[in-house]
Amino acid sequence: MSDILEISELGVVRAGLPVLERFSLRLESGESVVVLGETGSGKEALLRVVGGFCDKSDVVTGTIRFGEAEARPAARRGRPPIRIAYLPNPLSRPLAPHATVLSQLGRVVARKMGSPLGSAREELRLALERLPGGVTPALLDAKPGKLDAVSQAIALLAATSAQTPDLVLADHAMADLGPSAIAMLLAALAEEKKRLGFALLYVTGGLQPPARLGGRVVVLRAGRIIEEGDARRLIGGHAHAYTRMLFKAMPRLTLDRPKRSSARGQPLLQVHGLSFQPGTSSRDGITFELRRGASLALVGEEGSGRHAFLRAVLGFDHPPSGRVVFDAVDINILSQAMAARIRRRIAFIIGTDDSLDPRMTLWDTVEEPLRAHLNLSRDLRAGYRESALTRVGLASHQGSRPVGTLTAFEKRRLQVARAIVGAPLLAVIDEPLKGLDAFARTIMREVLTDFRLAQGPAFLVVTSDLSVAQALADDAMVFKDGKLVERGAIVDILKQPQDPATRALIEAVSLPDLSQSPAAV
Amino acid sequence: MLEFAARQAVRLAVGLVGAVLVAALISAIAEPHAHGLSPYLTAAARRLLSFARLDFGRSAITGLPAFGEIARRAPSTLLTVAAGGCVALAVGLPLGLLFSIEAIRRAASPLMQIVTALPVFCAGLALAYGAFRLLHWPVSVNTPVNGPLAPDQAFRFAALPVLTVGLAGAAAVQLALRRAASQSSGESFRVGLRRLGLGAFEIERAYVVPQVIAGLVSSAGEIVLALLSATVVAEWVFHLPGAADLFVKSVALNDWNMTAIVLFLFAALAFVADFFGRVAGFVLANEASG
Amino acid sequence: MSAAGEAQSLLRTASRATGWTGLGLVAVAVFLADFLARAPAGATGIGRMLEAPSEAHLFGTDLLGRDVLSETLHGLSETAIHAFVGAMIAILVGSLFGAVAGRFPRPLAAVLRSLFGVFASVPALFLTILAIGLTARFYAPIMAGLAAAPLAFVRAFDRVDTGSTHAEYAKATGIAATTLLRRDLTYEFRGNFAAAAARALAAVAIILSTASFLGFGAEPPARDLGLMIAAAKTSYLAAWWTAAFPALALLVLVLCARLAAGLEEGERP
Repeated sequence: MSDILEISELGVVRAGLPVLERFSLRLESGESVVVLGETGSGKEALLRVVGGFCDKSDVVTGTIRFGEAEARPAARRGRPPIRIAYLPNPLSRPLAPHATVLSQLGRVVARKMGSPLGSAREELRLALERLPGGVTPALLDAKPGKLDAVSQAIALLAATSAQTPDLVLADHAMADLGPSAIAMLLAALAEEKKRLGFALLYVTGGLQPPARLGGRVVVLRAGRIIEEGDARRLIGGHAHAYTRMLFKAMPRLTLDRPKRSSARGQPLLQVHGLSFQPGTSSRDGITFELRRGASLALVGEEGSGRHAFLRAVLGFDHPPSGRVVFDAVDINILSQAMAARIRRRIAFIIGTDDSLDPRMTLWDTVEEPLRAHLNLSRDLRAGYRESALTRVGLASHQGSRPVGTLTAFEKRRLQVARAIVGAPLLAVIDEPLKGLDAFARTIMREVLTDFRLAQGPAFLVVTSDLSVAQALADDAMVFKDGKLVERGAIVDILKQPQDPATRALIEAVSLPDLSQSPAAV
Repeated sequence: MLEFAARQAVRLAVGLVGAVLVAALISAIAEPHAHGLSPYLTAAARRLLSFARLDFGRSAITGLPAFGEIARRAPSTLLTVAAGGCVALAVGLPLGLLFSIEAIRRAASPLMQIVTALPVFCAGLALAYGAFRLLHWPVSVNTPVNGPLAPDQAFRFAALPVLTVGLAGAAAVQLALRRAASQSSGESFRVGLRRLGLGAFEIERAYVVPQVIAGLVSSAGEIVLALLSATVVAEWVFHLPGAADLFVKSVALNDWNMTAIVLFLFAALAFVADFFGRVAGFVLANEASG
Repeated sequence: MSAAGEAQSLLRTASRATGWTGLGLVAVAVFLADFLARAPAGATGIGRMLEAPSEAHLFGTDLLGRDVLSETLHGLSETAIHAFVGAMIAILVGSLFGAVAGRFPRPLAAVLRSLFGVFASVPALFLTILAIGLTARFYAPIMAGLAAAPLAFVRAFDRVDTGSTHAEYAKATGIAATTLLRRDLTYEFRGNFAAAAARALAAVAIILSTASFLGFGAEPPARDLGLMIAAAKTSYLAAWWTAAFPALALLVLVLCARLAAGLEEGERP
């Protein structure tokens, strides 16, 4: 196999700070390399240089060679002698919101191939036919806002393979799409790679790509290569301490029963015949109970109904039928003022950025529940605030910083700090690891577990990842197509899944045993 | 599209109904027996019914039908607004495009801030002074223009108010264009499509320019509002016998019926321009080429 | 932040600082007008009529032999004070009420938004002239403030994102509407009050001076920059200083207020 890409001593400096130092890599035709690192590790800078999209402010050193051409300074932009295709993440909104996906991707393929638009669309259609997911050109004749992220990801993958590239640059291409979708898309990518023989440079902060694609993994930290080696070796634990810590966040299911103390006390949340789909009656509704200190996960893919169910349980939406009793009180028959008093004992930790008010400061966000619900002195409030911020690792941050300036990881932890001071009876946790890289996921899992152990609230977890469900809850309800399909202790569900939807969810987080498979995909 | 147009139509209807109600309330002040809340409201209701019958009453000053007065004066004002609008586009569009380039904007910002901070009447007087001193044009700031004029004289007398209104409108045009351009510049799709392989010019032409134009067209309401405000001042400064001048004089002389009609005319112009601007902007934004 | 972003941020900060410094100097001029001016307000026959700027009269004299520098200082003082009064009314009735109304029950909030939106669509100058005509010229600052209020209301109202996710989650955890309102007001005014006040000042200063120019604002013998410029209309073609310096003073006031508010070039205050 010939070299398709050779990078020598690449360095990138931005605003006087080195973001990538002495990076060297050789990639052969048909080979794949996963560049793994947290935010700020330098992987984005690497992608910018290889893709030819450096900022004017980047100072680039080192050389780069594509295919058979001569090595040239990496700072020099120019048309590379090989076909390079860029595969972005649909959640990064790479397409214009006011034109259809089909028209934009058709134009991209036509441009890259130098062919007429009609042929490009035909190539796209053929590429879509080869991919799973049932996405058709007719479906793509819609604006990005009207299309779900997984369909857009499939479309982007089809556009990539329609270009018959020599090298594919995957830019966190499948991050946060849900474990099932990630598994499906990575398998499809691997298939296309085998079929077309392109080299793959996959830049990611997540662990699914190295685990599923195998091959070579380069671990970056603070702009330097920490480790480089075969995925099997690194995942197997024979690795640098930092790499081992990164891979701790890998989804792992276990069949061991949790050592947590069993649920005690009175029922905290009782749901009777709650139906959350229009046109259904209480006969089709769901009945369950969550005791104080217990934990329940609502598991399912996007659109499975778990969010609709949660909104019905918490009273955001009025359900067609059913009754919800929280702490022995039917919330829906209370006045707004009384219901508000009950709701004080509920906390939310949400995996999106918009659950916190971006105008508020860090300290105000944590103190607000204390100020609003309790008549505490300023010193006492400050004490609780500091204690909560210390528990989540935000105590050193400037308290007057607006929430809008924080990173996703900081905001996620801030939500936990706000929950801590509220001393809730129930914590609703919705996709808590969304948008976080591997390192942040590990820390976040620990923060949530510590919160649960220290204060003992009941956990109601909403996720599409069974491994996250298992890490944070003991029992689960599995949803598919708006219906509850399975329920029980998570360990029992894993041992004997009854429904195909459950089996699919298990499969999505069951990573291949790379020791049994060929070295490179 | 239909849903959007319907929403805007409701907005327009609410605005026009509101304007009619306000006009009726103002016109009712002129009623001789409208003292006290109940008689006043009754008078206002009567006025509303009259408006519905297209009976706009008479001017308290001249005694002539109000509609006739408006019909006599409005064309001059509308012409000033329209001509001013053309000047606004001719000046504002290139400026807006230039200033969407950040470096140029930063360099020109101090001068632009000074120019746009100048009140319209000061700008009008400054233009008149410049025309008088440098071009030796006759100006009408102190005496109204009477009698038939030769074409070149008519042009000179009309140019200054039109320029005054146009420059006020140009400030609004360049701002709307710049805002639309900067909104697009922050969008992630520009980076995304570039990385996917499209050229910068192609992205601008196919995806950015239509949105910028749509943004500008959507701001038609704001622009017309700026033109109308400037027209009131320009007609007063340059002694033009238009509807805006009529409004000022009607208020000064307590001719409330006339005041109400003129106010409604201007409000209706602003609402209608806003409606068509928003709908056209929506259509343009959604018809972007693929 | 990129270099371009930093330059932009620096320019914005410098603009604001310039604006507030200018307003500070205007405030000093307002308070010391009587001291700084060579002659009391309206004192005629100080010099010859329509004398060009000279050492004796830095800004020249007007048609009645008044010192234009003194008159400009008095006029600036009066205009600034009236504009300040109007601006405070615009803030109270507009920004503050708008922020509060954003949290009213939906139907009431919608009605208020529509009502204020209708008035915001009419040029504030028209509303001011109408209101002064209905009342009296004495109330010009108040009417100008009320006329500027609808736009301020609409802006503040629209900033209150009642359907925002964070407000929804806050309510779901028992945070009362009053706490959310307090949150809005705290951050609205902590972040925006000074800018909103400067913006209102710019708007009212323009409206008031234009109204005075048209004959609806201050009445003689009150000193007002708009009034001064209106009076200079008959003589300024021959004696430019009679209108230029009052216009310059007005420009300085409006420009400083706009810069302090962080308004973009051509943005309606």
